[in-house]
Amino acid sequence: MQTPIVYIVDDDPEVLAATHRLLTSAGTSVAAFPSARHFLESYDYRGSGCLVLDLAMPGLSGLELQRALMEREAPLSIVFLTGRGDIRACAEAMKGGAIDFLGKPVDEGDLLTAVKQALAQAETMRQERSARASAESALAELTARERQVLTQVVAGRLNKQIAADLGTVEKTIKFHRGNLMKKLGVRSVAQLVRLVQRAGAPVAAPES
Amino acid sequence: MGWIDIAWSMIGATSLTLGLIYLLVWIRQPTQRSYLLFFMTAASVAAFSMFELRMMRAPTPDEYVATLRWAHVPLFFMFVSVVGFVRYHFDSRRMWLGYAACGLRGVALVLNFRASANLNFEKVTTMLPLPLWGHESIYLPVGVASPLALVGQLSNLLLICFVADVSFAVWRHGDAKARHRAAVVGGSVVVAFLAAAILAGLLNTGLVRIPTVVSVAFLAVVIAMAYELGWDVISAARLNARLRVSEERLRESEQRLQMAAGAGELGLWEWDVAADEVWTTREGRALFGYGAEERVGLRRFLQSIHPDDQARVEHDVKASLDEGARDFEQDFRIVLPEGRLRWVRSRGRIERDERGVAVRMRGVTHDVTARRQAEERFRTLVEAAPSAMFLVDVEGTISLVNAHAETMLGYAREELLGRSIELLIPERVRSSHRAHRQAYRQEWLPRAMGAGRELFAIRKDGTELPVEVGLNPMQTFEGRFVLASVVDVSQRKQAELEAARQRDQLAHLARVTMLGELSGSLAHELNQPLSAILSNAQAAQRFLARDPPELDRVVEILADIVKSDKRAGEVITRLRSLLRKEEAQHQPLDMNEVVEEVLALMRSDFLNRGVRVLTDFAEPLPVVSGDRVQLQQVLLNLLMNGCDAAVASKAQPVIMVRSESASGRDVRVSLADNGMGIPPENLERIFEPFVTTKPQGLGLGLAICRSIVRSHDGRLWATNNPGGGATLHVELPVKMLHS
Repeated sequence: MQTPIVYIVDDDPEVLAATHRLLTSAGTSVAAFPSARHFLESYDYRGSGCLVLDLAMPGLSGLELQRALMEREAPLSIVFLTGRGDIRACAEAMKGGAIDFLGKPVDEGDLLTAVKQALAQAETMRQERSARASAESALAELTARERQVLTQVVAGRLNKQIAADLGTVEKTIKFHRGNLMKKLGVRSVAQLVRLVQRAGAPVAAPES
Repeated sequence: MGWIDIAWSMIGATSLTLGLIYLLVWIRQPTQRSYLLFFMTAASVAAFSMFELRMMRAPTPDEYVATLRWAHVPLFFMFVSVVGFVRYHFDSRRMWLGYAACGLRGVALVLNFRASANLNFEKVTTMLPLPLWGHESIYLPVGVASPLALVGQLSNLLLICFVADVSFAVWRHGDAKARHRAAVVGGSVVVAFLAAAILAGLLNTGLVRIPTVVSVAFLAVVIAMAYELGWDVISAARLNARLRVSEERLRESEQRLQMAAGAGELGLWEWDVAADEVWTTREGRALFGYGAEERVGLRRFLQSIHPDDQARVEHDVKASLDEGARDFEQDFRIVLPEGRLRWVRSRGRIERDERGVAVRMRGVTHDVTARRQAEERFRTLVEAAPSAMFLVDVEGTISLVNAHAETMLGYAREELLGRSIELLIPERVRSSHRAHRQAYRQEWLPRAMGAGRELFAIRKDGTELPVEVGLNPMQTFEGRFVLASVVDVSQRKQAELEAARQRDQLAHLARVTMLGELSGSLAHELNQPLSAILSNAQAAQRFLARDPPELDRVVEILADIVKSDKRAGEVITRLRSLLRKEEAQHQPLDMNEVVEEVLALMRSDFLNRGVRVLTDFAEPLPVVSGDRVQLQQVLLNLLMNGCDAAVASKAQPVIMVRSESASGRDVRVSLADNGMGIPPENLERIFEPFVTTKPQGLGLGLAICRSIVRSHDGRLWATNNPGGGATLHVELPVKMLHS
């Protein structure tokens, strides 16, 4: 597992330096940027970590940067810092998936807790993302027929029902089912459902 | 009858004729005694010549002696008259010589009649016949000379000395004409008497045998004297002729004067003091309303004067009679018979006799009613003026003040009249006022005094009051004057101060309100350094807690903390200065700095609202004079308005701040936004109080801004931009270095 990085973006050089020091003193590795533009120039949208972001900045503001990162599904958890309590901005930030919205001056406890949380979330996010990636690649191995069968199985249909739907015999269905389970490396239907969920594919509710 | 008889008769006749001519002249002019004295001399010479003729013709010693004895009588008179003539005609310093000569001649005359024969001879023994040219013969005496003759000779000598002395004195001290007279009269007398003395001496001693021809020498004296007197008569005649001409001229000039006096309505008069009779010209009578034939004396004169002026005029007339008194001069009113009043000015000069007693007074009177009325009108006007008025001559002497001036300055009228206007000027500016007054004499145009300066007058009690002064030059026949009108502006100054105080209070109120609106932004400005300080401090604690403590980092952190703390302090200072409640204090300002400070205050507001601020400053800007806080308030207010306008309409709100000084006389700061602009009909209205477009606004902001800018002698106005949005302009005058 790679070392978690805390990115800081703040247009006020004094605040930037101080935040940088505080997080360094707490043992995190920190990268500081004086503006959103600077940050985007060096960030590749894949590095996971925590972003401590000033809300009001000339040029690209904090919220605008958050939006840009979300669009690119960057694996970053954002902690907002702001000089003034602006409820509208706070709501928007939280909707965008921010971990916390902290007022300046910020206490180290609050900041470090938020950063820790963010880092944890970022780690989970990273792991989920890699699991999904492997599930997706496994699903991509299946044939069209196997996928049809998979969909029905995940939906909780019996082999007999599936055969009738697809206009074939139960035995054929069984064969497809065994093949796809082997391909996906699962042994039970429960495992199969989890894998499909991880890959983000829709799982239909079983028909009653 | 031989030629001797004829010659001597002619000598006598000539002398007598000349003498008689001047006797006639003397009768006409008895004061001219020299004519009488000449007549005496001439008559004496005529008589003497007759005696001399008889002496020459005397055949016997007895007849000769008797004739000679009597001949001394005219000789004596001739002496006296010559001495008198010389004394009268020329000044003599040594009269005693003349008196001695006459005295001695008198003694000789007495001795002459006491002697046995006469003065010259003790005894004449015989008469010698002496044949002359042309079958003529005369007799010469032969006898014993008398020693008494020396007395006669001595008197001759004294007379010669006297005349010579006088002539010499005149010759030395007189002019050319006097020298001539001295030479003719003195010379002839000296020569004649010298000749007479020598002849007599020679004759007496019998050394030579010649007849006595003294008459010829005496005739020369008479002719010389007649010549001298002739000049006098001629010059008197010339003088007379000249007098007649000047009398003619005098009469003409008198007529002209009368005509001029008549035309100028001048009444000439003359008052005979002793007779108490006043003579006056026709115009004079008309002025006073006297009848043409009416007899006028002092009483009648005083009766014609207005009762209020009578005592004054009477006193002055009587005072001017006193010895050494000045000329009479008075303005007074005459009550004319029809009851009308007339102002006249009368001037008179006393003429005195040699004892100094006033004999008569001559003078002139003229009508000054029109001038008096004009003066009266002027006085009334000055008195009625709503300000204090001072009429001041070129020397700065006050010659007229009104009642306003008395009450304003606490002086009585008499205390101001005749005093210098500098009395009313505060000590510290007195000398410069004198210089200004001198300079104004050159300029001589109506204007306000002390352009741009605050003027003060000083009251009698020493307190000062602020004034405004208007100057009006006046040219009168009495010389140049300045009419200064002085207005007490202390109430206005008080009102101005009060207005300024209220404006400052209102501005303060508006500032507090505005800062309330800005408080979020300001809190942010404070939060930034505080935030940095907190994080830095907590980081430092952690670095210190490490083992070993990372002291290098802590040192670094502490330096940053100090920096941030100072920054926070500055924000608070700025805030406090905006909140403070003080009177406006004007100081030299660079408007670029003022704008920068305001932009710094609003920085986070711009950030929060996404407003871009562009600046374009002219550098360096001339310095203006103003109150930093109030001007910041104006700019803050305008920027906040601009911000609202820009945010309300555009996706990308922009405010452009520009400073410039195109003329060098003004500095202009323009704030342009890209909002919706201002409807043209509202471009001026927005500066009126309670006119607002904002739901929560009071509508006082721009009104206060304008009053602040105006109190800085500046302008504040709004225009719409060609490309949309509005621009607000603040223009302030550049502070002059020399003022």
